[in-house]
Amino acid sequence: MPIQYYIALASALFCIGVVGVLTRRNAIIVFMCIELMLNAVNLLLVAFSKMHYAKAAAAGAVTTAGTEGQLFVFFIMVVAAAEVSVGLAIIVMMYRNVHSVDVNFLNRLKN
Amino acid sequence: MDSLQLQALLPFIVLASASVVIILLIAARQSHTVIQITGFLMMCLVVLAMWYVRDVLPRAIMPLLVVDGMAAVFTGLIVFCVLIIGLFSFIYFEEREENPKEYYILIFLGTLGAAVLTISRHFISVFIGLELLSISLYALIAYLRNRNNAVEAGMKYLVLAAMSSAFLLFGMALIYMDTGSMDFDGIAKQLQTQGHSPALFVTGIGLMMVAVCFKLALVPFHLWAADVYQGAPVPVTNFIATVSKIGVFAVLVRFAQAVQLQSYHFAVIIISFVAIVSMVGGNLLAIKQQNIKRLLAYSSIAHLGYLLVAFLPGNAAGIEAGMFYLFAYSITLLAAFGIVTMLSGRQADADQLEAYRGLYWRNPLMGAILTVALLSLAGIPLTAGFIGKFAVLNAGVQQQLWLPVIVLVITSVIGLYYYLRIISTLFAETQVIFPKEKSLHPLFVAGTYGALLVLLILLLGAGIFPSAVIDGIKNFLCQGFRIINF
Amino acid sequence: MTNLIAYIPALPLAGFLLLFFTGRRMSKSMIAFVGAGSVCIAALLTIVIGITFLQSGSSANTQTLWQWMRVGNFSCDISLRLDALSLVFVFIISFVGALIHIYSIAFMRQDEDYARFFASMNLFVFSMLVLVLADNLVLLYLGWEGVGLCSYLLIGFWYKVPANCAAANKAFFITRIGDTAMAIGLFMLFKTLGTLNIADIQQQAATIPNVTTIALLLLMGGMGKSAQVPLQTWLPDAMAGPSPVSALIHAATMVTAGVYLVARMNVLFLLSPAAMNVVAVVGAITLFVAGCSALVQTDIKRILAYSTISQVGYMFLALGCGAWSAAIFHFFTHAFFKALLFLAAGVVIESLHHEHNIFKMGGLKNKMPLLYYTFLAGASALAALPFISAGFYSKDAILWYSWSAGNGNVMLWAVALTGAFITALYSARLVIVVFWGDMKTPIAQQPGKLMTMPLVTLAILSIIAGFVQWPHNLLHVTLFADLVEKVLPATVLKQGIPPELLLQLIAAVVTLGGAYTGYLLYYKSPHIIEQWKTAEPNLNLREFFVKGWRFDELYQTLFVKPFLFITRSNKADVFDKIHQWLVTACSRLNGWLSLSQNGSLRWYIGSMLVGIIFILALQFFL
Repeated sequence: MPIQYYIALASALFCIGVVGVLTRRNAIIVFMCIELMLNAVNLLLVAFSKMHYAKAAAAGAVTTAGTEGQLFVFFIMVVAAAEVSVGLAIIVMMYRNVHSVDVNFLNRLKN
Repeated sequence: MDSLQLQALLPFIVLASASVVIILLIAARQSHTVIQITGFLMMCLVVLAMWYVRDVLPRAIMPLLVVDGMAAVFTGLIVFCVLIIGLFSFIYFEEREENPKEYYILIFLGTLGAAVLTISRHFISVFIGLELLSISLYALIAYLRNRNNAVEAGMKYLVLAAMSSAFLLFGMALIYMDTGSMDFDGIAKQLQTQGHSPALFVTGIGLMMVAVCFKLALVPFHLWAADVYQGAPVPVTNFIATVSKIGVFAVLVRFAQAVQLQSYHFAVIIISFVAIVSMVGGNLLAIKQQNIKRLLAYSSIAHLGYLLVAFLPGNAAGIEAGMFYLFAYSITLLAAFGIVTMLSGRQADADQLEAYRGLYWRNPLMGAILTVALLSLAGIPLTAGFIGKFAVLNAGVQQQLWLPVIVLVITSVIGLYYYLRIISTLFAETQVIFPKEKSLHPLFVAGTYGALLVLLILLLGAGIFPSAVIDGIKNFLCQGFRIINF
Repeated sequence: MTNLIAYIPALPLAGFLLLFFTGRRMSKSMIAFVGAGSVCIAALLTIVIGITFLQSGSSANTQTLWQWMRVGNFSCDISLRLDALSLVFVFIISFVGALIHIYSIAFMRQDEDYARFFASMNLFVFSMLVLVLADNLVLLYLGWEGVGLCSYLLIGFWYKVPANCAAANKAFFITRIGDTAMAIGLFMLFKTLGTLNIADIQQQAATIPNVTTIALLLLMGGMGKSAQVPLQTWLPDAMAGPSPVSALIHAATMVTAGVYLVARMNVLFLLSPAAMNVVAVVGAITLFVAGCSALVQTDIKRILAYSTISQVGYMFLALGCGAWSAAIFHFFTHAFFKALLFLAAGVVIESLHHEHNIFKMGGLKNKMPLLYYTFLAGASALAALPFISAGFYSKDAILWYSWSAGNGNVMLWAVALTGAFITALYSARLVIVVFWGDMKTPIAQQPGKLMTMPLVTLAILSIIAGFVQWPHNLLHVTLFADLVEKVLPATVLKQGIPPELLLQLIAAVVTLGGAYTGYLLYYKSPHIIEQWKTAEPNLNLREFFVKGWRFDELYQTLFVKPFLFITRSNKADVFDKIHQWLVTACSRLNGWLSLSQNGSLRWYIGSMLVGIIFILALQFFL
């Protein structure tokens, strides 16, 4: 498959994530949408990694090209997990304080 | 990894172990005081380690990190800020019911994140550093979990920062696609051979810039700043205003240096645009603000705009000016937030301007320090802020960046208005009787006042004898520039 | 020893800081100890440093304290430079300053603002020392503004009297005209040379294209500070300050800052004959105008004020003629005898219940003999009585050079000679009216030791200070000229001048004639004046002189009234509308931008997305 397809798919996923963050009111779903954005990037990175490997392999050398992309994906997954754990904790605290997880309730701090 | 590389990393290893030590101390049920003192000593140890390893610099730890003079300057500044913030944290958290001990783990992790940013030369280490910083910040901002404001600020920062990280990653992915490399030098090499900048690369840079601008709270990605500054506990606000910005700026400088960012027309346009709207927007937003934490947030938006003017030329003079500016800005904000910390009570932070009416007559020392800090922010001569602003202006004028320079001058005048407004409040007559301060361990009161005095001396000292600081920065940078031959 | 230079200004600065911050809590004797002590130690230090400097024989000692900033190719050093010229000034400032401080301990004893007085005086001494020790013009300008500020503070020291505040304001505004011109001159100098370091300027001066303009602008600054025509009107009013202030600031030191500036920048002036001529003519006009006014004043301090203007005029005349060392020599002697006269006048005024009018004084000769003899020493120096007074040696040199020096001519000499006559006349009038004749006001108190000691010291100096420099044809002693000509160019003589001895004789005769005329008019046969006063035009002339040639009224009509007219017709603040508009715009924008900070997370996300799209669009379409 040409690389453009991957880019299109990942961009679509990313945009869905963005729209979700923008439109959903439930904090947990907002959070899921952010995860979706991160996963879109993961997909992109894996695809690029493969692409660079293929390019180098086609040039005929034994190569490690493209490993960085895959490594990066693991880091992103780990960090995303950490982010979720802290994020969910904060959402729980929010629920304790305002008895709701609706992000529209977050409007006390303003000018 | 050879032993010299390990040595070069020693300060960072000590920094990382600091949070581990704190966890162990908490497990051993030690008191807040013990943890505070240990944390302080650990930070001193980091500084000592930095001093100890200065001869092995610069040294690259392939492929992720490089420890050079510039990293040393930025890390030194970060650790200095954390030392001071740590001192302020004690009196702030000691009087609140929440268990304050875990706070130190988070603050040291955040510091580690910022320090990793200063030595990154690879997308992966940038991302790790940034997220280490951000995730610690989410928790720190919402640390006083019974306060609705703190949780709201934490939630807002969480959603927005996570989203900006996603954009950063997307940008990195696009650059990776275009160049097939993730370390800065590799990207630069690839760009030289390609000789042009295709659309994907441009988009990638744009998205990365967006994330950086978000972290630096530059217009138009500044909306979170005021809310988060207001909601977070004062020492955390101080941390966001200084440490996180130093770290992000460091990585921006390093990346720009590697890929010659300022040689791209589009990048210069974005940066100029962001700088100009930040200077204008930040200062205009601050004009009528009555909440001092929000006001300092807006003022820091404007100041980061000034900083970008120094970043624009992309030459050594600009980087020196930027570093000095960052130094001046950090010590000034440390002093200002230090006073806010000292005045904050058990129930709420002292963030209303009304709480500062006649401060000078109640407590001349604090009034004087806050006055000097505000004058420095306004850029009045004989303070560090003036020299910083002068250096930035000079860097801009030499490159004939007339538009940003003119905007800088005009907005500084606007800025003067609200700084002087606070100063006039400090000296106003007051009839209000304020409750007596609570009794703390005298050691910490002395320590806090000592820290404030050190900041005052630095503020004035850097204004009167700036050449010492400037020469120091230059010396370190010379070491840093050798790294290019790697 | 070079490293000690910085302590000379540092001591008064320390005194100022101490008095400023803790003065309110100090006892009076403590304040006096700090205030006068700091300057006295500075004076002793000056003497030590001066002796070492003279022995070492080096031409200049520079001490760089620190580099204030170096950004790009612009650098500003804080460094002090001691050479022969600044040594003379530093000596006068610290030594005469110390004597005046000692005098003030007793003189101001009754004042409740004792600490404020000494703090301001110390600050003044510090600023003046910075002015003369500065090795670049930026630092010099700092000192220049510092002394202006202190002059303002001290003229208005008794601020509860509105007239004193008005005098302080007047002094501030008028000197500001000169200061502004000087600042412009400095900017032009910096633009042309790229440096304001004095040594560099001296080296590169020949390359300046518009040297006349710059020299004239600097001269304007000097004219403002040194009260030269047409910026002289503030000095007589400045006598509203306490007498020690008049002695230190408005006689001995600050008013000679202009002389210092011109002498320091001599290279620029030498390159521009036009500017030199202007200096000489300004000096000549000033000495004549002020001398005439001094003749008819009745307030003892105003007489002295006008005589100061006139004597500084002599210095400018000498500078303009190219007689650099003579000008500095006159500054040197003038500082002693004029400080003495002011201090003595202060004693007189204090003893006679704050009486300023000399015609209500009289007969003090027998009651206060010490005061009389010291005053006499000062007045004879002012009148330049031959041989026995310091003023003779310096003024004789100026008279001689005003004709014989390269830039002098017979007209300038004639004016200077007339001035010498007038000076002798009003000096005699002053002594006779105040000290001779019958007593008109009873004496309230005798001066204490603290006040007489400085008077006696200064009186001795007023007599002997001239012996360091004799006219060429008498004794060939040229210690002073040898010293300052290490820094200043030597005086070049013209050919074809009448012999020096002849001119000296004429000058001596004129001076003695002036003194005798005074004796005749005010003691021997006062009816001549009574008779003279009966004629209408004479009275008008007298009134004209009393009002200082009506310069104040001229400025009132030329500047103040039109200005008031403009402000009155602008009552609606048309011009304010412009910046008012700016304020409104800022405030409006603030309102709009504040709307964006509405606290809604979704709005924040949305605007961030818009920002991203905007930035991406920006980089693609620009």
